[in-house]
Amino acid sequence: MLTDQEIISTLEMLENEHLDLRTVTLGINLLDCAGHDLAKVQKRIHTRITHFAEKLVPVCDLIGEKYGIPVVNKRIAVSPIAVVGAALSSSQLVAIAQTLDAVAAEVNVDFIGGFSALVEKGVARGDHALIEALPQALTATERVCASINVASTRAGINMDAVLMMGKTIKQAAELTADRDGIACAKLCVFANIPPDIPFMAGAYLGIGEADAVINVGVSGPGVVKKAIDRALKTDPNLDLGQISELIKKTAYKVTRVGELIGREVADNLKIPFGVVDLSLAPTPHVGDSVGEIFQSLGLVSIGVPGTTAALALLNDAIKKGGAFASSRVGGLSGAFIPVSEDLNIAEAARQGYIGLDKLEAITSVCSVGLDMVAIPGDTTAENIAAIIADEMAIGVINNKTTAARLIPVPGKGAGDSAHFGGLLGQSTILPVNCGDRENRFVRHGGLIPAPIHSLKN
Amino acid sequence: MNKIILAVLGLDRPGIVAAVTGILFEQNCNIENVSQTILQTEFAGIFIVTMPPNGSLEILREALNAELNPMDLHAHIEPVTKKQAAAAPSKPTEPFVITTKGPDRKGLVAKISATIARYGVNISNLQAVFKGGDEPGDNIMIYEVDVPVDINRQSLHQDLREKARALALDISIQHRNIFKTINRI
Repeated sequence: MLTDQEIISTLEMLENEHLDLRTVTLGINLLDCAGHDLAKVQKRIHTRITHFAEKLVPVCDLIGEKYGIPVVNKRIAVSPIAVVGAALSSSQLVAIAQTLDAVAAEVNVDFIGGFSALVEKGVARGDHALIEALPQALTATERVCASINVASTRAGINMDAVLMMGKTIKQAAELTADRDGIACAKLCVFANIPPDIPFMAGAYLGIGEADAVINVGVSGPGVVKKAIDRALKTDPNLDLGQISELIKKTAYKVTRVGELIGREVADNLKIPFGVVDLSLAPTPHVGDSVGEIFQSLGLVSIGVPGTTAALALLNDAIKKGGAFASSRVGGLSGAFIPVSEDLNIAEAARQGYIGLDKLEAITSVCSVGLDMVAIPGDTTAENIAAIIADEMAIGVINNKTTAARLIPVPGKGAGDSAHFGGLLGQSTILPVNCGDRENRFVRHGGLIPAPIHSLKN
Repeated sequence: MNKIILAVLGLDRPGIVAAVTGILFEQNCNIENVSQTILQTEFAGIFIVTMPPNGSLEILREALNAELNPMDLHAHIEPVTKKQAAAAPSKPTEPFVITTKGPDRKGLVAKISATIARYGVNISNLQAVFKGGDEPGDNIMIYEVDVPVDINRQSLHQDLREKARALALDISIQHRNIFKTINRI
């Protein structure tokens, strides 16, 4: 027999605190779709994806209804297209992106990730073609997401690839200038990219994964915030150790939802269950914000002194609670701080409480990185590359994932507003220190060597 | 085996369970199941008991009345027949929880439970609190139900939602596992 308190508190989380399952992401291995003949590759990709994914959305909806918990996003992640399409040219890879876009629409998923390359140690022919194809591919498609891993703790930072990405991001922004450079919102540059991320834009299916796998991403910023608010209302003198325990317990509950629904979707589709990604993923809605948690903890806004410590506490407590709740934790598993996608963080940017420097600092204690950060359109490709390099260095040295999703908004400057729409939100454009000046550092290229602590064997 | 069901009702106070079970012990009865609850000020207890082979229902009833009536408690005993024992549903079911919130009015339980009954769904536990008034959180019904797997669940959900809408109630219908999963280790 359930207690009335168990039922009422769960309903409260669902009705007023935005508890849902943020994403169920179906990973599909496309490696054996590779070939020289574009039409054949396209056909194989279409057949493979529809075979595994045709029931994904109805099954997620059915199971979401059974438990009264909506699965907000249904997505697909595929093997890195730079490997699948290694024999193809960059224009042919644009056609592959369009195939992915069309099949994503056919099976009714909102995003398909995996237009990706892993170039942390060197750029192979296929990787080069894919990076070259990125601006056009992301402009010509709506649902395709791309990620490029340019650094790892084991390999170091591939500065040639970093510079290529600075130029690519600039081109992608210019091709979608009429939509504030939205192509860049679908492109993430990574250090230490995990092979099982369910969240976009970083989702792809790693090389070591099975034919198909179900990974899920939980939600929960609203639930965590309300739990903190309630506890502090009852006892305003709670210390931070007690608040950490509270967040742990809340993260446990949120993660259990992900595990239960993810496993049932996987069983239903007869596909192995992969991981739960514990990340707190916000949306541009009031009450569903990571930024609001900082205010609940007593800060004026995210960005003011105390922010890094508060985020470290939050991130650690989420991991501890989530790790206990699930036997299969993976992906990014930390708090996201996507500026435009989080109403409260976007407002903090507008009011000047947070800028690029503080955002970079706090990425040392959370996942993922400089996420959905709009910067002035006149920021040079070299300086975009340099921002990426800084972010990659934090990941490489601290043996963690970091990423940069930067949008140099064409024709707009610091303080202007950029609108991306939907879940991508909107944000004030943040200034970049000397962003329009030359940056000879990144022109040196080469490989920043792996840190000494990468030698673990 | 002489299996009986015993119900005890009356104003709650310390010592009721001790009194009832003391008599059962004296009468050489064996308790198989007990469930007791308190609603506002009232005690309600149900006991399923096996009597000794030579035990008498009448003697037990007299012993219970003699002890409990002075305490303002009332006992009711019935034999559990084989027919009753066989009445337990054997069809496979899935456990769901139906929760409603909304303004108080007469007939809420009757109307929601009638819809549940029409589909052959058994209520295994019901908790309801009506403090009165229009504040939704003050008037809550929680039904734990066993839904046969062979009925049209979508249709049940739709009928319940329509009934709730007509009664101005917010309704949630969820598989029981979600509550266990979230709240229990």
